[in-house]
This record gives sequence, C-alpha cells and structure tokens, in this order.
Amino acid sequence: MALGTGCTARPGKSRNNRTGSWRVFRPAFIHERCTSCGMCRIVCPEGCIGENEEGLPVPDYDYCKGCGLCAEECPSEAVEMKKEEK
Amino acid sequence: MRELRIHGRGGQGSVTAAELIAVAAFEGGMHAQAFPAFGVERRGAPVQAFVRFDNKKIRLRSQIYEPDYIIVQDSTLIKDVNVFYGMKEGGIAIVNTEKAIDSPVPKGVKVITIDATSIALQKIGLPITNTALMGAFAAASGEIAFTALEDAVKRRFRGDLATKNIAAAKAAFDAVKGAA
Repeated sequence: MALGTGCTARPGKSRNNRTGSWRVFRPAFIHERCTSCGMCRIVCPEGCIGENEEGLPVPDYDYCKGCGLCAEECPSEAVEMKKEEK
Repeated sequence: MRELRIHGRGGQGSVTAAELIAVAAFEGGMHAQAFPAFGVERRGAPVQAFVRFDNKKIRLRSQIYEPDYIIVQDSTLIKDVNVFYGMKEGGIAIVNTEKAIDSPVPKGVKVITIDATSIALQKIGLPITNTALMGAFAAASGEIAFTALEDAVKRRFRGDLATKNIAAAKAAFDAVKGAA
C-alpha cells in the first residue's frame, strides 16, 4: 500500500492494505500440540487464520497484525508469540 | 529554524514524542511547535508528527516538507510511505531497525539505525519506541540536552513509568553516542 504525504490511503478494497507489517510479535503455530479446536480462528480479529488439508490452523501473515489473541486463548498453548525481525 | 518529522504507527507514541521534544527544546530556551497529521485513526496506521524549533519566533504553521531530521519508528513504513521526502542535504535520519536499510537513501543524508523496539521491550516492557528514539535523536542531533528531555518525560509521565521511559531514552542515547 503506497501512501502520499499526509498518509491518506487511496480508495480500494481493504484487502490491498496488507496490515501484516504492523506486527511486533509474530505468532508461531505449533501443529504438534494443536487439537484443531478452532478457537484461534474464532478469536482472530482479522479473520486471517485458515486451515490446511488436515484441519490445522494456518495464518495469513500478510494480514496478521500480531495482536496475540490466538496465543492467549489457545487451550493447548500451541501458539507462541515471537518477536518479528524488521 | 530546525525541522523534524517523525514517521510512526498509531500506538507507538509519535505524537507524544513530538510534543516532548518540543517541550525539551522550549526548556532549552528555544521557540518550539509540535503537531501531528494522520489519516486512519487506528492502531498501526501510519502517522506523521512534526516538530519545529528556532531561536526566534516561528510564524510558519505548515506541515514539514523539507525536514532537517526524520525519525522512523518502524522500518516497514519505508515501503509504505516516502519517509525521506524532501529531506535536506546533511540531514539525519534515525531509523528503528535491527537490520541495515536496503532501500535507497537520498544523497547527503546520514542514516542512523537503532534497535529501539528491543530497548523499549527491555526497559519498559512494551513495544512503544518513542522515548528510546527521542534519546537517540538527542544524541544524534545535539539539538536538545538529555537533561531537558528527562525533565520533559518526567512532566508527562508519573513515577515508575517516567523512570522506565528515561531508562529507555538513556540506553538509546548512550548507544548512539557510543557508535558516533
């Protein structure tokens, strides 16, 4: 998303705004501990967690803003927040 | 007249940093002004904040288009916003990043990188980088004294929060002074 002076965004779909760069912490999904309960998908405010063929959660890092709700709510502690390198 | 532009994201304290730097400059006997500009009022959205200081009265009220200094609170902003826009030759850019900058920098601009996020997490416990970068700005530019900055932070924050923020500013100040 390119912005002009004054930070005004151009019109368009919000999909164009890849908010993933806002992250300070990045969630790592540890599939060995996951029970596929789907809690992370429900609580994700960006709705950016999908699933793979085995039904395990896979986040879209282009839109994950690193809020950490998934890590906080995961009952089996299968999500770890790690500092993003930037 | 000296002009500083701060590029940050909502929630990183760009606006507060601008105010505190202006207060510190004012305490140092200069005229100062600080004001922000932002589009989306949302955490993480790009924000600009401006500081102007001078030994005489400042009549100018416009946004800052030709800064002497810029502070970039988040290196991923360089891809989204033209942070170096209008920078004067001989200007200083302070960028919060762990890595080196890979994007083109206008000629004559000195880039100082500092890992302010790690400093903030270590000293404050939150990824709010403004006070650390203020310390870095004081060290890199020499425009404001660290003691003035300390006073400005103490005025804005109380007790423990002030101590932690001053510790973050001091760590960044020392890091930049040590590197120079």
